[in-house]
Amino acid sequence: MELHLKSIGLRTLSIFVLLLLWWTASELMNDPEVLPGPFAIAQTIIADFRTPGPEGESAYFDVGITLARIFITFSASMVAGIGIGLAMGLNRLCERSLLAVIPLMLTIPTILMVFLAIMWFGFSEAGALVAVMAVVTPFIAVNIFEGTKAMDKSLTEMGVTFKAKRHLLLRKVYLPQLMPYIFSAFRYGFGQTWKIVALAETFGLKYGIGYMFFFWFQQFEMTQVLAWIVMFVVLMLLLEHLVFARIESRAFAWRAPVAQ
Amino acid sequence: MSAQATQNVQRVKIAPVVPREPIGHGVMTSSAITIDRLTKKFPSPGSSGDKFVVLHDISLAVDEGKFVSIVGPSGCGKSTLLNVIAGIESYDGGNVTIHPNANRTGSKPRIGYVFQSPRLLNWLTVENNIHFVLEAQNVPRQRWRDLVAQNLEMVGLAGQERNYPLSLSGGMQQRVAIARALAIEPDILLMDEPFSHLDAITARKIRFDLMDILARAKPTILFVTHDLAEAVFLSDHIYMMSTKPARIFKQVAIDIPRPRQPEDSEIVDLEKTLVREFFSVVEVKG
Repeated sequence: MELHLKSIGLRTLSIFVLLLLWWTASELMNDPEVLPGPFAIAQTIIADFRTPGPEGESAYFDVGITLARIFITFSASMVAGIGIGLAMGLNRLCERSLLAVIPLMLTIPTILMVFLAIMWFGFSEAGALVAVMAVVTPFIAVNIFEGTKAMDKSLTEMGVTFKAKRHLLLRKVYLPQLMPYIFSAFRYGFGQTWKIVALAETFGLKYGIGYMFFFWFQQFEMTQVLAWIVMFVVLMLLLEHLVFARIESRAFAWRAPVAQ
Repeated sequence: MSAQATQNVQRVKIAPVVPREPIGHGVMTSSAITIDRLTKKFPSPGSSGDKFVVLHDISLAVDEGKFVSIVGPSGCGKSTLLNVIAGIESYDGGNVTIHPNANRTGSKPRIGYVFQSPRLLNWLTVENNIHFVLEAQNVPRQRWRDLVAQNLEMVGLAGQERNYPLSLSGGMQQRVAIARALAIEPDILLMDEPFSHLDAITARKIRFDLMDILARAKPTILFVTHDLAEAVFLSDHIYMMSTKPARIFKQVAIDIPRPRQPEDSEIVDLEKTLVREFFSVVEVKG
């Protein structure tokens, strides 16, 4: 517990130092057109949430849209990735046929995949979904597949000996062993997803944080551009630390049992 | 696996349930497991098609309610034999039959298994580890609570329901594994060197407790070990196995009355005789 507090303190301190450096630089430069200070950005962010923006909506709307896009595309990729990874791990035919295709998919650079998806599906929600799934699903599938290879065969044998059916093995034997792999795929895949969604919004989707960023970029409004970037970063960090870290520590509670 | 290799592959057979005639003074004695000229081959590593014989012409019978041990050196195929009986491995020749308990008509025989290592699901509590096998065996949910409590109490772990396996010692984990196997109320309990990974003192304590447990639960036990002293102390009957290919070269009935002590002179003497005999037959490398 003490260690935990210490690490929180250290993190707060390093963020504070970063803000201080930023503030000093902006004061020295003294040109809000190029580098506005942290206070100006904070004021702009608050104002963006309070007053309607250029499209007549406040920042709540754009943040909500971006979050919804991330949530939907990421959930679809996770479900598909876990399904494919499991199929590869538990079925020889799936393993052989997919093991050739997946490295191919992983080789295509993310940004090219986004362009491809946009060319096929236009600037639409479907385009964003396809782009995210094309990039994130193979990655998750490979991770889960690796996880199935690392599963303890003696436990499967135990389950089979006691006549456990496949769905019971899946729930109680396979999935818990895959949890570390699912979580690492989750973290990396989530990072990929929000980058792709931001990219797609910047290039042409209507509404969303990326869209607003690009709007202000075209106006050359440095304060607004930075404000939207900061909003994005803070949002993603909050999700990471407040939501995922908690789910993770709960899922792995059995690893650090309290000695009686 | 080639088409030829899959020919003649057999799996353990379940005998039909027939009401048996009481023998003698109304006491039922009947076989729980009969193995007749069992042969099992494995593909040789490296070469194609060729197979080496793991189990050769094994015949044995385990009577209902008896404690039968198979003693043999490491790598002689004892575990393979248990896996064949458990139905998770096939065999190539002979017959392996399990006879359902005559007193429990209508259900297939239940087989409990205690492995060398506990093989618990570490992410589940002790209680949920037992629930896992109860669910696998389709035991009605309303009985789970009692079965868990009874069997944990029996292995000396009452009150540990909510703990995770990793918070227990190795000996306690193996006790959970025993409780798990007993919870399904097995007709047959297969035990594969269950104490070989424990330190001598813990193993001794659990062996004693096992005798008490079995006096209450009374399943038929087939116990595999390389430890003759352990086998003599625990068993009603011992089969001795040699290696390469594994075959049974001697069987001994042990009539020493219970409760027994590992230091009883009868037990120690019998062990000495058997050890001598063992080394005259089995060549042990190393």
